[in-house]
Amino acid sequence: MKTRSRIGTALAAATLIALTGCGANAGAKTASADDFPKKGKSIDLVVAFSSGGAVDTAARLMQPILEKELGTNVEVINKPGAGGQIGYTQLTSAKPDGYTIGATGSPSVVVSPLDPARGAKYTRDTFQPLGRQVIDPTVIAVQPDSPYKTLKDLLDAAKANPKSMTASTTGLQTGEHFALAQIQEGTGAEFAPVHFSEGASQATTAFLGKHVDILVANVSDVTDLTKQGKARVLGVMTSERAPSLPEVPTFKESGYDLEAGTARGYSAPAGLPEAVTKKLEAAIQKAIEDPTVKEKMSALGLQTSYLSGDDYKQFWAGQEEDFKKVLPLVQKKD
Amino acid sequence: MTTESLMTKPESAARVAPSVLTGIGAFTAVGLYVLVSSASLGLWTSLGPGPGLFPFAMGGVLVSMSALWLVQELRRPSAAAEGIDRGVVISVVVSLVVLALLMDLLGFQLSMFLFLLYHLKLRGQRTWLSSLIIALAGSVGAFYAFNYGLNVALPVSAFTPLNLIGF
Amino acid sequence: MDTLNELLGGFAAAMTWQNLIFAFLGCLLGTIIGVLPGVGPVAGVALLIPLTLNLDPTGSIIMLCAIFYGTQYGGTITSVLLNTPGEASSAITTIDGYAMTKLGRAGAALTLAAVGSFVGGTVATIGLVAAAKPLGELGLLVGPPEFFALMVVGISLLVALAGKSMVKALISGALGLLISMVGIDPVAGAPRFTFGMDRLLDGVSFVAVIVGVFGLSEILSYRKNSKTPLVHAPGMRSLLPSRTEWRRSAPAMARGTGVGFGLGLIPGMTGSVSSLLSYAAEKKFSRFRNELGKGAVEGVAGPETANNAHANAALIPLFTLGIPASPTIAVLMGAFLQQGLTPGPALFTEHSDIAWAIIASLFIGNVLLLLLNVPLVGLWTSILRVPTPILTALILLFMVIGAYTINFDVFDVFVMIGFGLLGLALRNLDIPLAPMVLTLVLGPLMERSLRESLEISQGDFSIFTSRPISAVLIGLGVLIICSPLLKVRKPKALTEDPEA
Repeated sequence: MKTRSRIGTALAAATLIALTGCGANAGAKTASADDFPKKGKSIDLVVAFSSGGAVDTAARLMQPILEKELGTNVEVINKPGAGGQIGYTQLTSAKPDGYTIGATGSPSVVVSPLDPARGAKYTRDTFQPLGRQVIDPTVIAVQPDSPYKTLKDLLDAAKANPKSMTASTTGLQTGEHFALAQIQEGTGAEFAPVHFSEGASQATTAFLGKHVDILVANVSDVTDLTKQGKARVLGVMTSERAPSLPEVPTFKESGYDLEAGTARGYSAPAGLPEAVTKKLEAAIQKAIEDPTVKEKMSALGLQTSYLSGDDYKQFWAGQEEDFKKVLPLVQKKD
Repeated sequence: MTTESLMTKPESAARVAPSVLTGIGAFTAVGLYVLVSSASLGLWTSLGPGPGLFPFAMGGVLVSMSALWLVQELRRPSAAAEGIDRGVVISVVVSLVVLALLMDLLGFQLSMFLFLLYHLKLRGQRTWLSSLIIALAGSVGAFYAFNYGLNVALPVSAFTPLNLIGF
Repeated sequence: MDTLNELLGGFAAAMTWQNLIFAFLGCLLGTIIGVLPGVGPVAGVALLIPLTLNLDPTGSIIMLCAIFYGTQYGGTITSVLLNTPGEASSAITTIDGYAMTKLGRAGAALTLAAVGSFVGGTVATIGLVAAAKPLGELGLLVGPPEFFALMVVGISLLVALAGKSMVKALISGALGLLISMVGIDPVAGAPRFTFGMDRLLDGVSFVAVIVGVFGLSEILSYRKNSKTPLVHAPGMRSLLPSRTEWRRSAPAMARGTGVGFGLGLIPGMTGSVSSLLSYAAEKKFSRFRNELGKGAVEGVAGPETANNAHANAALIPLFTLGIPASPTIAVLMGAFLQQGLTPGPALFTEHSDIAWAIIASLFIGNVLLLLLNVPLVGLWTSILRVPTPILTALILLFMVIGAYTINFDVFDVFVMIGFGLLGLALRNLDIPLAPMVLTLVLGPLMERSLRESLEISQGDFSIFTSRPISAVLIGLGVLIICSPLLKVRKPKALTEDPEA
């Protein structure tokens, strides 16, 4: 018995020691900008929505290019909930050392700190924008067997019977929720919003199961659904038709002057060392503008529209001003 | 669990074990706290069910079940639990707390080495040799294995002198 | 017949020597990674993705699936041997798995877990081959109200099984739900029960709670002067399950397959829900339900079968609808995307050769898992020969690393210590721990679906009873809760259930 236990102990110890063989010198130095990123230390890319949505897909497409550019592992981590707030909180509370970056999308990231009721722990200044990737316009779609064939039919029906139809969003005060509020404000058509706060994949699933009547989503979410005949898109909320949905009229063409969409990019927590920011920004630009990534993105209905970190920052500030004005539309009234 | 049916003789029906009373009290207190604070979170808003609705319901369950439990205990007290070995609880919990406090200061390797040595040599009374080998493997060994083999960074020391010599 | 031909074609493509070696390596690496604390299946698969990037699509996805199976099984090994679950889906296995270890049946538990995983995975993959499309549509029938009703069934199963201590089970369940609510409200975004601590905004991490409540509290309740050692190392002969154990596991595996497969079809359901509900089902329906919690094979075979059946069934919504139903599936989806494949119905029309090769590789992965792990059971269990004080120290080491690496923050170590003490208190008050773990997992899903449902119905609670599927489920839940209550009316002698 005694020898046996000795063997067991030795075995356990030997395994641990054997596992150590791969390292020579303690990597105990504090992170400095020059050796960023340290080889073998993974970079987390926080996605604030659940897997399968456009944000997640875009991040996963960029991942291998980022890995190549930065020379280390990049892990996509999904932190869904509260329309993005849980993931953004995680991102901004991480150490600003470059090993945590995240996908940021407006309006959710812009608006959540503006409404005191949400108790968000971050503001625009706690993010270090690194680059904008896409603008994804909002669309409105109905079930394929729906009696409404045009946007006008649908909006008139919703005007005649307010709240008679349910419409999905990806969470309170997200792009879809704003779009619904803008439609109500501009046309008088009122839908009952259902907030799928984990992201577009949940909203789409519920729509496919016919648990909600209207799918309010982004172009990328419905590109594939349209091909399969599982959704009928009635309108795109931009000035120009979306390349992946050439048959779908814009809101403007249908006589409603409304525009809405989601702008997505990548950010780090504020306070990043200058050199680290430069490195990350360059790698992200490379990945966003990589031809194969671009091609795969447009196959999904996503039009790449790169902005550098500084430009993205300005864009962000502009969005904040815009959304401040319309915020009361989507705030709770007690 | 089987003891309850044995303990239902009439003569033991008088007293509820103090630990059980404490437990019931604690659950009631937590329940009440939840009820009050979730009501202030908002049970219902113009946008639908509020953040407080679900916790409010749970607070209610907690309070009412604690009350029911008290009634059950008064009618038919359960046996006092076996009790715990205070020595074990204190030594394990205190050593873990100390470890957690020191980990960011001394780094994983030193603090875990001391922790393991305490459990192996002082508490476990193993021989010096086996204690040292295992403590080294579990601290320094694990650190290298995780840091370099698995890309999992365990904490390093916050003190520069210690840091420079590899902790 | 067409399907069969295509499947055979898939096997032909997958069964190259190269691919078999990739699958074998994937299984082995996955298992090792799964055993180590702090690296669960998702992180494990993500960690090993670079290894697969340079392979051709078939080879790389075969290897990834194998890695995934391996990490899941690796998590089971630590649950059973060290009472420390590597990830949520094997958390419930610790209850009976570790109890079996204490009885010297660790080998049997691990063998049954491997066989159960194989059975669940294979049956679910057959489902994928035979009826992917209709099954995918079936999953869509479950909308928010039905989702909520399912959660109600799950909770009522666990509450009902507590028999006379239903009160205690409810307390435990309510505690779990409350713990799951700490953090930012997942719907409206307001912080709840964070006591002003920023570290709590992200909620209390499940793994730290589980490790504390099960693992640490077990160590804390160990009595120094007790004669019985922590665990009995199994002898060579007891590595394999006995005939009775096989016989008892079979129905548990069947139930586990059903639960895991059904739930796996539903987008948004996680594998841990399947394993927990499978445990609950055992508690309710097994002939040996009174032994559960004391080292019953059903408590290992059921959940372990369920989580693998779930993992494979979850591929059905991915293949038919393009919806990744769980985080691990999302990682797999990422790999698909890297290879230029868009998961969804188009996969079968545009890349049917690869699609079938992947399906074939799922079968192969399952077989390899079995072939690789059963012979290794002896090696894994040899760790139990380590004397108690050393084993305790090693378990503590494992738990600390596991808790720390969740967020790379000492905070989670403190969370684990706190929940260890809570677990000890609950044990002493004879409050069952399983309902708490169940509601901890179900809580967020339940709350979300409740609120989504009420948004759909605009505040009308009758949505749960007016829709047929949810009405039936809610009815079932009520029935389950009431059935033990009805028994209480019987003569007193009969109510003296030895379990209560």
